Amino acid sequence: MTPARFLGVRGPAWDRLESLLSRMPRGNLNALTEAELHELTRLYPAVAVDVARARALRLDTRTLRRINALAMRAQALLYRRERRDVVGSVGRFFATDYPRLFRALYRYVLVAALLFFVGFGGSYATVVLDPDTAYSFVPGALDEVDGQRGLSAADMSERFRRMPNAPLATGVMTNNISVAFTSFGAGITAGIGTAYVLLYNGAMLGGMAAHFSNAGLPFAFWSYVLGHGLLEVFAILIAAAAGLRLGLSLVLPGRLTRTASLRAAAREAALLVLGSVPFFVIAGLVEGFVTPSELAGSWKILLGAALLGLALVYLLGKGYRLRAALIRK
Amino acid sequence: MQEFNAIETPENVELAQPLAGIGSRFMAGLLDHILLGAGVSVVGFVSLIVFAGLERWSAELAKPSWLALISLLGFAAYWGYFMGFEYFWNGQTPGKLAMRIRVTCDGGRPLGFVEAAIRNLLRPIDALLGYAVGGVSMFVTQRAQRLGDLAAATVVASEQPLDYGTSDQRRGLDFNWEPEVTAEALLASGLSPQEYRALSSYWMRCDSWSIETRARVLPPLIAPIVQRLGGPSPQAPLETLEAFVVALLQGEKPRS
Repeated sequence: MTPARFLGVRGPAWDRLESLLSRMPRGNLNALTEAELHELTRLYPAVAVDVARARALRLDTRTLRRINALAMRAQALLYRRERRDVVGSVGRFFATDYPRLFRALYRYVLVAALLFFVGFGGSYATVVLDPDTAYSFVPGALDEVDGQRGLSAADMSERFRRMPNAPLATGVMTNNISVAFTSFGAGITAGIGTAYVLLYNGAMLGGMAAHFSNAGLPFAFWSYVLGHGLLEVFAILIAAAAGLRLGLSLVLPGRLTRTASLRAAAREAALLVLGSVPFFVIAGLVEGFVTPSELAGSWKILLGAALLGLALVYLLGKGYRLRAALIRK
Repeated sequence: MQEFNAIETPENVELAQPLAGIGSRFMAGLLDHILLGAGVSVVGFVSLIVFAGLERWSAELAKPSWLALISLLGFAAYWGYFMGFEYFWNGQTPGKLAMRIRVTCDGGRPLGFVEAAIRNLLRPIDALLGYAVGGVSMFVTQRAQRLGDLAAATVVASEQPLDYGTSDQRRGLDFNWEPEVTAEALLASGLSPQEYRALSSYWMRCDSWSIETRARVLPPLIAPIVQRLGGPSPQAPLETLEAFVVALLQGEKPRS
């Protein structure tokens, strides 16, 4: 077929497709009648093939660009994603997919825990052996209430009582989720950024724990920290595990190219970190409303342990039954 | 960096998706950040007035609830703006809409939630040093992808309507005629094979060049031919010169 004949034969189809597309600038299918929609689905594959033929015939660039653009527009319309049921897919995600994802990636959580506790142990030992180093980890203001230096259990509850519950809860929550998201993103530095976040946060906690222990207030400290902290640290470890997954995919891509390996890991890792958000919400609510309360310290610790236990039961136990049902079918 | 992303359709045809340049992406980002800043300020200010009114009614409750609201709002704006718009607006944010660019999967498919989440969870990393990290990544990758795009397997496509031009029949020349070297044409025109190839490759490409480029390229190309075989002066108008090229390629001997 000569180029001129090709243009003559196929030109009308391109004009027709162009006029149909121009009637739906926002991609609104209701702008066309049923018959026209059928026509559109028949026109698109033909025009897509025309692009390949035009290339083989070495048609001029303008015509080529025109039909390529037409095919692109029709393609974007016809192969669009169906509207998903958002509530349903979020529900399904937490009911089955997320616990399974956690179980598939739990080794990364263990590595994250190891890094966190290396930071914790290191700074704890340092501060116990040399109390003066405490201020590398603890903000000096923590020791002062109304300009008076000194740590006491009463001061701590006083400090918490001055913060209103709701802003404390939302502030802590949003800050922690931001840290979680960032420690995921920091994984793209081959995991170094994520490892730093883990060591740093572990060292902060360890330094504070040792500081209060030196002051003879270990129980007061832990009763304030563990109520929300057990679940919160666990959630941080999950988020950091996502960052480590991202980092390891770049360091050890296996048989994939580094880009392909990164892409595969990013999907899993992003879902892992997004699914940790509810844990941060719960921990934030506890920190805002339970931690400052008059509740006895041992009850707070018990509550923290119970929440962590529930999280573990959920993550390690959910999502089996459905799979079993699927296998039986 | 390339101008186009080759996408494979289910029909097994390769289509060329025009990619957005760094400039339009930067402008879109700038617009989005301005809108985001303005939106947060307006909502913050309005809520401040509302809660100041509530303070008269319940001083205990007003300030804490305002603080709680502000921290949630700031969080939602920082993480939710790009993720939410890109997911619900099919790969566009207000800034991208204004610049007529759109995020798609690198295979040309529309963006899904996971892709929108990945590329925007990595945004703070790309935004380090004033988007220098993302900018360098866009310069060195073939499809102008920042780190978030690489991880999410997305590209940012341009949706500027192309100017197809109307030059085809303008001068009565058939731009779709394809020259083919034949012994007869060569003998008849008196061109050497090299000259014939040079002219035919000019003819095959010239329709995608601007008139100025053609007027610059063609005269030196045909000057030696005209000198040997005769024909219009290289200073003649472009239309005359191109008609001369077509005549030569079709095997017509120039009449001097």
